[in-house]
Amino acid sequence: MMSSHRALSKEAAERLTLAAEPWLSCDDCFEQIDGYIERVLAGDAARDPAMRAHLIGCAACGDEARSLLLLVAEDQGIDPGPALSRLTAE
Amino acid sequence: MTFLDDHELADTDPARSERAPDDWVELLSLPGPGRDEALARLHRLLLKAAGHQVSQMLSRLPAIGQARREDMVNQAADEAMVAVLGKLSSFQGRSQFTTWAYKFGILHAAVEVRRNLWRNREVPLESLAEPAAVGTSPEQLAEAADFSQAVSRAIDQVLTPHQRRVVLALLVDEVPVDVLADRLGSTRNALYKTLHDARGRLRTRLTVAGYLSQPLRGR
Ligand SMILES: [Zn+2]
Repeated sequence: MMSSHRALSKEAAERLTLAAEPWLSCDDCFEQIDGYIERVLAGDAARDPAMRAHLIGCAACGDEARSLLLLVAEDQGIDPGPALSRLTAE
Repeated sequence: MTFLDDHELADTDPARSERAPDDWVELLSLPGPGRDEALARLHRLLLKAAGHQVSQMLSRLPAIGQARREDMVNQAADEAMVAVLGKLSSFQGRSQFTTWAYKFGILHAAVEVRRNLWRNREVPLESLAEPAAVGTSPEQLAEAADFSQAVSRAIDQVLTPHQRRVVLALLVDEVPVDVLADRLGSTRNALYKTLHDARGRLRTRLTVAGYLSQPLRGR
């Protein structure tokens, strides 16, 4: 059993108490991520709260989504910057 | 698993070829010479996505040599190829076929890199994180320490042993989820559910204790 002398960084404490709602599983995120990335690149502000929450709450899916966005933006010859900020924007 | 020699087709970027999604699926599904060419194009597309992902993840790790990087890219592209062909019937045209295929290359490469980087590292399964000073003013330090201590206490009080083990490995020791899944005989999907439930319990306890008044969002 752990005792209370564990010390967490402020960042770790915030990651631990993040409200990643509404719920979306990693499998469902993967299922939808290609369409979501294209919508975000096309200028759609992220209007999918579950996707947005998952990409903030799940480090692995978030990293992979940003990477997919960069790759598709490169193919389309567009600046990925604005879309990257829309990816997890409210 | 072997595929057509890519070099013969290397002068065209598969992502830029103007093929409708239906065309890709049809070409990849029906036997004939068109299928062989489509398989080779698909494999190059997946090599491109895997190479992109490996570069993204290893750009700050020059110690990982070129040969090892190429191994990871090739391994990931081959695994992604199997995955894409296995899921071809589920492609519904909600995105470009290339975007849909890329996500498999990126996923398999990301998992491959995470496993590689942690191959010889011990995965801590109970954590005693070092204290971290945050902020500059005495008030900021006190506030951060207070909240962090409350979270730490809540971890001990409201989480199950399994939840505690998972959240500390993922969020304190920053063990990649795929690596942790391997070690625990679990999956990314199951571990994220554990993390999500644990966050809910911690938030409830900290809200009751007056540390959280409204959802922490977007951090
Ligand atoms: Zn996820």
